[in-house]
Amino acid sequence: MDYTKQIQEIAANLFAEGKIDVFVGYRTTGWDNNQVPVLIADPADVPKLVFNDKSVFNLVNYLKREHTRNKRVGIVVKGCDSRSLNLLLTESQVKREKLYVVGICCEGVTDEEGNKMQNCTECIVPNAVVSDVLLGTPTGSETVTGSYRLNSDVEVLHQKPLAERAAWFNEVFEGCIRCNACRHSCPLCYCEKCCIDQETATLYHGANTPSSAFHALMTWSMHLAGRCVDCRNCEKACPSHLPLHLLHKQNEAVIYENFQEHLAGVIEGDRGAFYKYSLKDPDDFIM
Amino acid sequence: MEAEAKDQLVSIEKPALAAPPDWQPVIIGILCNWCSYAGSDLTGTSRIQYPPNIRIIRVPCSSRVDPWFLIKSLQASADGVLVSGCHPGDCHYISGNYYARRRFLVIKRLLNFVGYHENRVQFSWVSAAEGPKFAQVVAKVTEDIKKLGPLHLYKKENF
Repeated sequence: MDYTKQIQEIAANLFAEGKIDVFVGYRTTGWDNNQVPVLIADPADVPKLVFNDKSVFNLVNYLKREHTRNKRVGIVVKGCDSRSLNLLLTESQVKREKLYVVGICCEGVTDEEGNKMQNCTECIVPNAVVSDVLLGTPTGSETVTGSYRLNSDVEVLHQKPLAERAAWFNEVFEGCIRCNACRHSCPLCYCEKCCIDQETATLYHGANTPSSAFHALMTWSMHLAGRCVDCRNCEKACPSHLPLHLLHKQNEAVIYENFQEHLAGVIEGDRGAFYKYSLKDPDDFIM
Repeated sequence: MEAEAKDQLVSIEKPALAAPPDWQPVIIGILCNWCSYAGSDLTGTSRIQYPPNIRIIRVPCSSRVDPWFLIKSLQASADGVLVSGCHPGDCHYISGNYYARRRFLVIKRLLNFVGYHENRVQFSWVSAAEGPKFAQVVAKVTEDIKKLGPLHLYKKENF
């Protein structure tokens, strides 16, 4: 999977036609083979753009930032990224007419060791669902190319006894340093003020105690329930390497089993499971 | 002493670990204004006894209950939470409890996933006419949580 040439060509044409102010893409770091996001405003920088298996980040995150707001933006999206873009469009955070979307039919990206990322091995929406131009051959005629499976890590944890799970998660919460990188890297966390900061007594509540981490991560994952697209930007950003996807995948599984038969952001205009209800929702856990 | 406290912190659900004999659970009750709060009022005016461990918070509707309330209650070392609202179809705001029901299922499963016993957080539908039912619900929740013992989680930290 290497679309470097096509993307450079598209970006150069867009700049030449004056259709965009900024292009958001990937470039290789100066020191190794890994890639970092790059915002290009000068057509002379277009040759910096690359796209291959190492293009792991979700660039939609950059659409919520100051420097792309109210500008015409060209952006590269993979399958999962396009789902988060779909949600941002639905939630009126981005204007479609200001975007030029280069969709990718993704074959999965790799981590630093060259292994396929776990979310890519489980991915069932590899093709971009929003795009102006689609690169690559779609792997199936339909949007969803497989049946949903429970994440293997979540499955393993479900089989552990409760006390063991509690101890395990306590380790996770102890590892959190409350840097909020997960929140900043998440394309769907765009609030100016965030409730996990707990504005009263910020000095204490922002501290990196397990209780503060429990509060912050649980609240954060509930706010993303029914919206998380499993791009794992949060995990890539986490300096403590916490398994943050577990909380999201757990919520996603409950929502998928009980409320809706599709994943977040796949359907255009669908606002997520918590914005609607059904009379047939499970009621047996309520006295 | 320090080592013991550390041990308690790690095992969130170790039943009745070092619970003093006179320990009583602290339960947060979040009740909707139109049904459950009126129901609890009826329990009182009907002179029906129920355990005094519950601390009641009145909210306009069960869909006002952000999952954050439950997380925050447990973080601030309540031993359990009871959320109660109108029966499906009876919501004063037509559909509030349907929205709430979805969130409750997800947060209940998520708390269970990270190591809380499923009885720590409980939900009920109590109408304004169900005074005896409210007393039964509170009795059941209190009994469940007494069985589980104190939630040692983060008690060391001051809130």
